[in-house]
Amino acid sequence: MIKRVEINYRGIFQKTLAKRIGGDIVMIAARMGQVGFSNGRYSDAPERNGIPCKYFAFVSPDLSEEELEAECGAKLDIDEANISVVLDDTMVKGVEPWAWHGVRPINEKVVPYGYMLVVSRRRPEDLVRFMARKPYPYYLAILEGDASFAGLWVYRDDLTHERVLGALAALDPQLLSIEAVKGYLWDKTHEEHRVEAAQKAYESVRHNVHEVTPLQGIDWPYEIPKLPKWHEFSEGVVVKAVPREFHLGPKGQSRNQLFKRGTTKSQRPVVRFDLCTKCTLCWLECPDQCFDPTPDGYYDVDYEYCVGCGKCAEVCPVQECIVMVDELAFEDNRSPWEHWKRDPEGYIRWAEEKKGTHRVLPNVVTGTGQRVVEAEPVPVGGKPKPAARAGA
Amino acid sequence: MAVAQPVGVYEREDLLTGCQAVAEGIRLANVDVIAAYPIRPYTEVMDAISKIIADGKLVAEYIVADSEHSQFEIVKHAASVGARAFAGSSGTGWMYGFEALVVTATDRLPVLFLVGNRALDDPGAFGVEHNDALAIRDMGWLLCWVATAQEALEHVLLGYRIAEDKHVRMPMALAMDGAFLTHSQHIVRIPSQEAVNRFLPPFDLGERRLHPDNPVSIAPQVNEDWVMEIRRQNWEAARRARRVIATAYEEFNQVFGQRYRPPYYFEEFLTDDAEVVLIGMGTVAMPARTAVRRLREQGHRVGYVNLRWFRPFPTEELRESLRRFRAVGVIDRDFAHGAPDDGGVLLHEVRSCLYPVRERPAVVNFITGLGGRDVSIQDAIRMFEITQEAAREDRLDGFVTWVGVRE
Repeated sequence: MIKRVEINYRGIFQKTLAKRIGGDIVMIAARMGQVGFSNGRYSDAPERNGIPCKYFAFVSPDLSEEELEAECGAKLDIDEANISVVLDDTMVKGVEPWAWHGVRPINEKVVPYGYMLVVSRRRPEDLVRFMARKPYPYYLAILEGDASFAGLWVYRDDLTHERVLGALAALDPQLLSIEAVKGYLWDKTHEEHRVEAAQKAYESVRHNVHEVTPLQGIDWPYEIPKLPKWHEFSEGVVVKAVPREFHLGPKGQSRNQLFKRGTTKSQRPVVRFDLCTKCTLCWLECPDQCFDPTPDGYYDVDYEYCVGCGKCAEVCPVQECIVMVDELAFEDNRSPWEHWKRDPEGYIRWAEEKKGTHRVLPNVVTGTGQRVVEAEPVPVGGKPKPAARAGA
Repeated sequence: MAVAQPVGVYEREDLLTGCQAVAEGIRLANVDVIAAYPIRPYTEVMDAISKIIADGKLVAEYIVADSEHSQFEIVKHAASVGARAFAGSSGTGWMYGFEALVVTATDRLPVLFLVGNRALDDPGAFGVEHNDALAIRDMGWLLCWVATAQEALEHVLLGYRIAEDKHVRMPMALAMDGAFLTHSQHIVRIPSQEAVNRFLPPFDLGERRLHPDNPVSIAPQVNEDWVMEIRRQNWEAARRARRVIATAYEEFNQVFGQRYRPPYYFEEFLTDDAEVVLIGMGTVAMPARTAVRRLREQGHRVGYVNLRWFRPFPTEELRESLRRFRAVGVIDRDFAHGAPDDGGVLLHEVRSCLYPVRERPAVVNFITGLGGRDVSIQDAIRMFEITQEAAREDRLDGFVTWVGVRE
């Protein structure tokens, strides 16, 4: 028997976290007399900010290491997952690591009655409504928490690593027992708070497991591309360029249809067009050319292509004009500018509701993690004020 | 042998080095872009081409690069916009630009390169050794050796004809022995432009040409989803190249008279009734042929096979040829450190080519002429004698002989 655990994470911020979880699954399973090994999906390029990637751990109670390696080693991806860990809940909207992979459902590999373990502060139904319908039941477990950056050395440890190990013990005690998790963490660190974090996660996740039936979820809207045979594409790897087209308005610029990269984002920019001074900085600075100039001099956002890097919000000189908001707050990728033109007041109410009352300051290395401050909302008809700069 | 010579095909004769002959070929092929960076023995060709341009005999972009890497990148990109391009190098310079060379092959851009063979690179050694050009052998290139200045000029024209063929479109390395051919002056018949134009069509990259009117992306990053299919395409091109090569020589003969005989990929010298042959590449053909004549005068049934095309390797043709003999002596002007039986590169190609033959000839190997050491007629005779002995004894051990080393 082989237990396959996949850890879905976002590059680059969660790469080390995912690797440590995968490695520790093997170490703890070994304490329980099992064999295992761990690897990352080599085809990933997890250095890309936010890109969906995978790490794996394989454990067997009865196979030899040689047989386990033969089944699971030297493979790029797994065919099925007994447990699929999701370290950033915004990935439930789908994952697209490369061109030609298509936007894949996050639960693609989960087996019947297998587990999805999602780190999230959302309710299960708020996650399932983005996920693909599967023909069989499986379980959704939620480990309450935020998408952790703690694997990156500039961010403070938030114990997500220990908590995920505790949560896995809650889902499959044969894979990892909570005693083995705690014993391992204590022997490795001699830090009681790490053992406690695993224990608490173990207890909370046991009461946060929900069956997902074949009736739940959505019909997956994305097609998976079919790779051409060797004689079906141009020699010399020559690709027809995207014809350069431009008109003012939403989607007025031609873009690559084969790799939209929108699943890279965990946040999206919400624009208060009524505060915009048309300074052009978002349009100029966006590394992915996601801002489309409009006939009235504003800049619409093409969310299909936005990777959520936050550069626009960082350079916007107007307070509250561009704010990054959790991607799971949004149902679709429709044009915000069209929405605003159609219903200016309604759009601003909608935008402010999405923005909520907390603001994460543009990412700066503080050693203490993200800085969150209270919003200073600007009412409809309010005047633009200069943005407070990080570090100012 | 008297050959029918169409009138007006050659416009004049001149005394040219191998490099100058290549430069004449570049002029006649009306090459658009030349990138240059000096390293001997290749350097003489860049001198010769710049003189031709300065004299107003060729209109071309002549770019002196800041290194071989830039030099090879320049011609690769020039070819991608549809320019007929030329570059070249020797020894370590060739190796320094290797990254660009391998991408030129996967980009399937038919640039012609001259490799003036040079040793790799016991500090400063600049004599001939074939390992520099041979390093490209697994990378999707056409690789061909010439043995005379006349062949050098003609293989510039043949090279572009073959490399640019729409069924091929592979980069081509035209290799010639440093010093012994690059710097050796011989009388060369220079074809007329009119005749060359009849043989060599203009370069047309078709739908792959990078141009504002034909916007394309070239060489996007690929991953494991693509590399096998790309290799499969390249392999197919190399397979097609075997046919295109033969066709190109036939067309060449139609324009220029019967210059080359089938099977074109290699040239046999007095092999019809031969019992043993030597096979080699490049200028070693000169002492080997003379040795054949002298030995034949003494009644020995020996012959010589001058291998031109190393890539694609003429597997079937060479197999059919060599299986007729009792023993084959493979001359390697290269060394493959740590290879099976400590033999040279060509040994392994020839031996592998002969393996499926049930009654195959004995194969022995000679490592000779390394780093520019000359190979004499006497050396060639000795190689024949050892090969004849192998034919008698069919030895399996001790069959690699170093010829010309001080011992």
